[in-house]
Parts: sequence; structure tokens; C-alpha cells
Amino acid sequence: MLRPGDNAPPFDLPAATGERIGRVALRALAEELIVLFFYPRDFSFICPTEVTGFNKDLALFRAEQTAVIGASVDDAESHRRWSRELGGIEIPLLADIGGRTASAYGVFDERERVAMRATFIIDRERKIVFSEACPINVGRSVSETLRIIRAVRTGRLCPADWTPGVAFGPADRKF
Amino acid sequence: MREVVFGVQDGILTTAGVLAGLSGAVSNPRQVVLAALASTAAGALSMGAGAYLGTRAEREVMASEVARTRRDAEHHPYAVQEALLGELEKQGLTREAGYRVVQLLSTSPDLLLETAEEKVYGLAGRMRANAALDGVVMGVAFVAGALVPLLPYLLIPGARGGLGSALGATALALFGVGYFEGWLARRAQRWRSGVRFLSIALGAAAAGYVIGLLISPLGATAG
Repeated sequence: MLRPGDNAPPFDLPAATGERIGRVALRALAEELIVLFFYPRDFSFICPTEVTGFNKDLALFRAEQTAVIGASVDDAESHRRWSRELGGIEIPLLADIGGRTASAYGVFDERERVAMRATFIIDRERKIVFSEACPINVGRSVSETLRIIRAVRTGRLCPADWTPGVAFGPADRKF
Repeated sequence: MREVVFGVQDGILTTAGVLAGLSGAVSNPRQVVLAALASTAAGALSMGAGAYLGTRAEREVMASEVARTRRDAEHHPYAVQEALLGELEKQGLTREAGYRVVQLLSTSPDLLLETAEEKVYGLAGRMRANAALDGVVMGVAFVAGALVPLLPYLLIPGARGGLGSALGATALALFGVGYFEGWLARRAQRWRSGVRFLSIALGAAAAGYVIGLLISPLGATAG
């Protein structure tokens, strides 16, 4: 699994954004930060809470100049139907068929042939600044991802559980 | 059904084996019949007790598995849905169709859990088994099977004639049980199941007879 400091592997994949099917490439994304979250499968009983959670807070991520992108091994048509099932998802869902992108990020489960439940935050240099993987049966925290985005964007030393308004750490220290 | 097939088959084989073995070792047919009756009684009791204990133990293990599954479902309700969805997908439904089935089942949590127990953990069928009934059925089936070689042996006079008719009835009955098992399993060539049962029976009977012949000098020495 890639770690902070690693280059984010490029991708250029079919994707469904709501009812639209097109392509999404890392190099074409203009946002300052990118949240790339992998999930195992469409039509699942845990994943929807994450996809709908990110979708619900999309405006908050956009306000932080951050793009949110989901990815699973399902095809774009499946993503479109899944998005419809969930009441319309504005987040692009990448069709990582075969899991090549998940493998490039080191989060492909070879036994189950699906992506692990993993999240990466990619900075403006297109390097990984944050990565995490959850157990397959435990959903992620959207609010925690947003908190980290906000902390990363300050460029300052942020103590544990930092949230906007809380004092930063000493400016002369690196960590 | 498992108890009936197993009990009948074992009753036939055991009794035919005893008759064949003792006919080789003992010259008095009354002694052969008494030994076969004793063997039938002991066999029926031990097989019945074995079936009772086996089913009981199986139910206890399954009850603990069901309790564990229900605890898991309480703490991780999604895990049960995901497990059932995965199983339905393995059995041929598309992911989307499986999802909709599980979603429908989820409107009744008990039904969802029961279906998951059956499909994912294979627990439901044997949970309904009755240990006492299994024991009685196994014992009665054993006696019924034992009567197949025993009755001709009793009714047809002469040790050789009796044994021949007993083995003939055994062969026919075993072929029938094998054929019946093939029918239950919906096999295309049911006669093959019958022949397989028959081959095993004849092998066991022949081995019993040979062993009887081999040990008969020991009986003569002891007497």
C-alpha cells in the first residue's frame, strides 16, 4: 500500500458520474487535493454508507478545493445503476475493471479480486499525503477524511484531533 | 432418509456377513440363527444409540454455531447481508439481482438470518433433526435390513440352501437399496449404484465366509 511521500500512480479510466459515463484521468484533475477512495463492490450493504456519505458532504470537500473520486472493480454501467439505486451520486466512480489501479496503489485483494476499503489523499504535486485501509466490514469516516483535508491545507503543524479554530503546533518545528 | 438407507444397508450387510461367516465356522444352523439374532439385536441397539448421540452432538454444535452467527449479526448486521449476497452470487445470481433479493429479505430480519444460516453456514436443515426419532428409525431400519438375509435362512431348510437363499435375497435387496439411492440422487444410471452396493456386499460376505473357514479350526480345538 502506498504511503505519504509516494508518487500517486496515474489513472485514466471509464467512470460514471451520476447518469453520465465518461473518462476520468488523474492528470486532468485541476483541484488542489484529491480524495481517492477504493471500495470493494457496487451493490453492497456497507459501501453505500460511504459513497452516500462522501456524496452528501461533497460541497464541503469542494469548498476545500478537493475532488472526491471513488473506485471499484465494477464497470461504469454498474456504477451508473448503483448511483441510481443510491438516489444519484455526483462523485465520479471509476471503473477499475481487473483492479489495475487498485494494484498500483497496493490495495488490491488478490484472493477476493476486489479493492480493499482504502483511502488516499493526493496533493497538488500528485503525491500521496495520506493513506489508510479499513477492515472489509468497517466503513470509513467521511468527517475524519474532511478533517485531514482541512489540516493538510493549512500546511501547519496540527496536533491530535485538530479541527479548524484549534491552535497549531509550534511554527518552528517540523513534527 | 439418511438413517433409513444407512440402517437398512448396514443391517443387510452385517447379518449376511454373520450368516456367511458362521456357516463357514459352525455346522449347527440353530447356532448360526441364534448368533445372527443376537448380532441383529446388538447392531440395532448400537446403531440406534449411535444415530441418537450423533444427531444430538450435531445439533449441539449447530446450536452453538447459530448462536454465534446471531451474535455476529447483532454486532455486524451488514456482515450477514454481505455474506448472503456473496453466496447468492456464487450460486449464479448477478450481483445486482442478489443485492435486491437480500434487500427484500432484510425487511424481515429473522427471515434474513434464517436464510443466511441455511445458505451461508448450511445450518438450518440438520437443526430440525430429532435425535430420538433418528435413533429409532436407524434401529428399526437395521432390523428390517437384517430380516432380508435372516428370513430366507430361517424358512429354507438346510444350511447350504438357507445360506444360498439368504445371500440371494441380500444381493437383490442391496441392488434395490443402491438403485433407490441412485434414484434419490437423480443419477442417470441408477443400476450402477445398485451394482456398486451389490459388489461391496458380495465382497464383505465372501470375506466373512473365508474368515469363518480360517478360524473354524480354533473353535474345534477350543471345543
